[in-house]
Amino acid sequence: MLERWKIPLLLSPALLLIAGLFLGGLFLGLIGSLGYMPLLGREELNLDAYRNILFSTGFYQSFLLTFYISLMSTIIASALAIGAALILRRHFIGRSVINFLFQLNLTVPHLVGAVGILYLFSQSGFFARLAFEFRLISGPSDFPAMIYDPLAIGIILQYVWKEVPFIGMILLANMQTFGHDYEAVSRTLGANRWQSFRFVLLPLLSPGLLAAALIVFAFTFGAYEIPALLGQSYPAALPVLAYQSFTDVDLNARPEALAMAMIIALLSAVMIFGYARLARRYMRS
Amino acid sequence: MYLISKICSELTSIWRTRHELLTRITPKVRCFKIKEPENMSRYPSFKNSIWRRLSFLVVIFTLVYFPLSAQATEKVGYENWDEVVATAKGGTVNWFMWGGADNINQYVTDYIGKELQKRHDISLNRIGINDTAEAVNIVLGEKQAGIDDNGSVDLIWINGGNFRTMKQGNLLFCGYHGLLPNNQFVNWQDPSIANDFGLSVDECEVPWNRAQFAFAYDSARTQSPPKSIPQLIGWVKENPGAFTYPAATDFNGSVFIRHVFYHAAGGPEALLGDFDQDKFDAVAPKAWAILNEMKPYLWREGTTYPNAIASLAQLFANREVALYFDYDPAIFGINVENGIFPETTRSYGLDDGTIGNTNYVAIPYNSPNKAAAMVAANFILSAAAQYEKAKPDVWGAAPAIDVGRLTKEEKSRFTELPRHPAVIDPAALSQKSLPELHPDWISAIEKGWQENVAK
Amino acid sequence: MLMQTNRHTENSRDGLSGPVWFSLILLVSWLVLPLIPLAIWSVSRSWYFPDIIPSAFSLRAWNYVFSNTSDVLPALGVTTLIALCATLLSVIIGLPAGRALGLYQFRGKALVELLILAPTIVPGIAVALGLHVVFLSLGLAGSYLGVLIVHLIPTLPYMVLVMAGVFANYNPDTEAQARSLGASAIQTFFYVTLPAILPGLLIGSLFTFLVSWSQYILTLLIGGGRVVTLPLLLFNFASAGRNDITGAISMIYILPGVVLLLLGARHLTGRSRAVESLRQI
Repeated sequence: MLERWKIPLLLSPALLLIAGLFLGGLFLGLIGSLGYMPLLGREELNLDAYRNILFSTGFYQSFLLTFYISLMSTIIASALAIGAALILRRHFIGRSVINFLFQLNLTVPHLVGAVGILYLFSQSGFFARLAFEFRLISGPSDFPAMIYDPLAIGIILQYVWKEVPFIGMILLANMQTFGHDYEAVSRTLGANRWQSFRFVLLPLLSPGLLAAALIVFAFTFGAYEIPALLGQSYPAALPVLAYQSFTDVDLNARPEALAMAMIIALLSAVMIFGYARLARRYMRS
Repeated sequence: MYLISKICSELTSIWRTRHELLTRITPKVRCFKIKEPENMSRYPSFKNSIWRRLSFLVVIFTLVYFPLSAQATEKVGYENWDEVVATAKGGTVNWFMWGGADNINQYVTDYIGKELQKRHDISLNRIGINDTAEAVNIVLGEKQAGIDDNGSVDLIWINGGNFRTMKQGNLLFCGYHGLLPNNQFVNWQDPSIANDFGLSVDECEVPWNRAQFAFAYDSARTQSPPKSIPQLIGWVKENPGAFTYPAATDFNGSVFIRHVFYHAAGGPEALLGDFDQDKFDAVAPKAWAILNEMKPYLWREGTTYPNAIASLAQLFANREVALYFDYDPAIFGINVENGIFPETTRSYGLDDGTIGNTNYVAIPYNSPNKAAAMVAANFILSAAAQYEKAKPDVWGAAPAIDVGRLTKEEKSRFTELPRHPAVIDPAALSQKSLPELHPDWISAIEKGWQENVAK
Repeated sequence: MLMQTNRHTENSRDGLSGPVWFSLILLVSWLVLPLIPLAIWSVSRSWYFPDIIPSAFSLRAWNYVFSNTSDVLPALGVTTLIALCATLLSVIIGLPAGRALGLYQFRGKALVELLILAPTIVPGIAVALGLHVVFLSLGLAGSYLGVLIVHLIPTLPYMVLVMAGVFANYNPDTEAQARSLGASAIQTFFYVTLPAILPGLLIGSLFTFLVSWSQYILTLLIGGGRVVTLPLLLFNFASAGRNDITGAISMIYILPGVVLLLLGARHLTGRSRAVESLRQI
């Protein structure tokens, strides 16, 4: 009898909290985005907010920009993290120091990194001054624009900076669990380094890599403070646009903000779904 | 049997852990609450019930939980000032204001906060925000949620569009000027004080500072800066990349665009009063044409605009652009003192005049500490507080009170104040002062700029 | 958290070649680089284009940061307390759930896992905008408790997932053995269960602490400016262009994380099982 209740008892506090806060928040956001604002005397549901944002070019530009930022950051960070993990799993002198430095910025908040990137890469930042010192440019405007720029280079640089150690740590942990045996076998069977990486290590790594990449993608898609600090005024990243609409003094903009939040959530839901499917396929094989 | 005992032990062990940890965090939660006394008084039913809080945490939405807003509403009508002061004693004022200037923060916390504590036993809680609209939004949200007498904002540094939103939404506490003794120093006959951006103040806010738009340049770098809007247009073309202005979403960017708008309209006279779509449609295309003509000669060819005035300050400090402007000329001196601007920074007004405004403090309708907020508002109008604020090494902000109404000694203290070399003489600046537009005009201009110039 | 593998590998013989060393140094310096201008700015008075080094130094930013006006030290306390409380609550609530997920198979497990995974992927802003009105009417908006609760949305799932990973490698029979030898439930927990799960618990706690520690938007939305944490102050000054004060706050803001990493590194060196739980995140 107790056995039956044990698992629910163990799970219920966490599930209640997550269901209450997370699902509750999503649900409230959803009905809010449908125009349900009882305190303003609006109780009927409609799709006006979605219609408004889906018919505005500003929304699409923001969406595409955010998608592009997330995609670029995830791809670049993943590639660098694979390289870093391949080096860091080897034994060499000074490894623990390098390891510590590698992990250091896992603990550094995003906001700090963003400000650091701003001071390094703006047109009058540290690198621009170096370029000026060496007569490579004649003034700030000659330095390529990387902050507040349409290509969002500064934002991507910040995400890559922050996420390389994150993905790298996950890959390292993965590599540790399956050791070097498979690769060693493939090498004795005549595979070269690249082949053993491409056909042995990478497939082994891919579930962990995918999970990490999905987390990074979803995180960068919903992050506010980095694009708010480093992004250009127009178009703004989607979370920035949502927050601006939410804090607009015109309360009619709130359903639109919530609709954008729902679109962000929907995209993440697609990510989770994809992850779950991939994970299941991995479990089977 | 074995199974059952195992499960029991499992459960107890988990329960014990939980109990253990709960008792361990209890003192932490308690010191939490002590740090925030005004919160405590606001939710009296929770004062001594740490356990209830914790149990609430576990069940969040399932627990019945609503005795929070049960508190006696504060009396709104006061007979006289003594009654206000008596009620205010021991109160707290949550003052929401832009928090990005350390000297202003210091003036408010160190001077006003300490004086209020000393004179009236009021604790001032300065809450720094990035944008005044955030505070307006909090009050709006509270109204939406039905929190009508227990809001979290007691005082806001405000003017213009935010004031309009609050006034039109009935979000302000009004009609208390007669109570404030220091109201006598305010010249309410002056239309630029009696109207906040063309909207009548109607005893809904108290003036704090006066400001007038001015330009700044580095005299070591730029010899002859443009002294009028037509000159500026020519100057921008001759000096590509050396000028830009913040986007219309920024307060200062918006006022720069209005100067161009006035120029396009041949002066502000035609635009004063309520918003008129026909007049707007007649002037707007000209203004957008001027701004679009400037665009390729702006910083980064006008492909983007700084998000905020602080970004323009950084561009000026780093010599990326040659001109800076601000609605509050005192900022030029402060930036020089803070090492942001070069020592050779100088400022000037325009020959065709620059726009001036008054900024105010307002009390939201749902503030639970209205008496204390009124005492604070009265204190900032005092000669002492306005004088402290006018000192160039404190802030250098122009007084909102009519100095002529002070005693002779007080008046001479104001006139003898030194002026920072980077800051233009306010008297000279105010010779050519232009009025602000009605907030509806400003919204239309900002929106039009986004659609016709920014894209 | 530190990767100090005990497993011997055949690669251990070969050192790193020159280009590999070069790219490694490049990568690591790139990771540390953004922190350097912040440190320099915190002691600068004036440092503008084209100066490579500041033209004037001053401790003014630090004076301001440590003054009573700046609220930096109270904010440091508030940030730390919220992060500690969020971590503790996550442990209390997440440990049992992690045990259930790690040790047992049951119907609907996939669904439960999905529900717990979801908040780590769906951005907080999407949830917090909807919660805002409810928190307002419960009186939780603008309160420390409200911010603490909303921080649990991102922190709790991390803890559950890490603990599930830990318990998946845990043998509960040892507990039964201890019990049959006469140990009480408390003794069993502290002498058997806790030592076995401690490395994972510490990792989970470190992550949870850092997730709460770096929250900006959830604190801003639910705290409404009245719950002042370090990121809020940092954003305030960063967006106002006060680089010196921004630099000084940044230094204070990264300090606890570095200290925790150092402490955590000592504790966790050589325990590869703890590392495996990282895979769960």
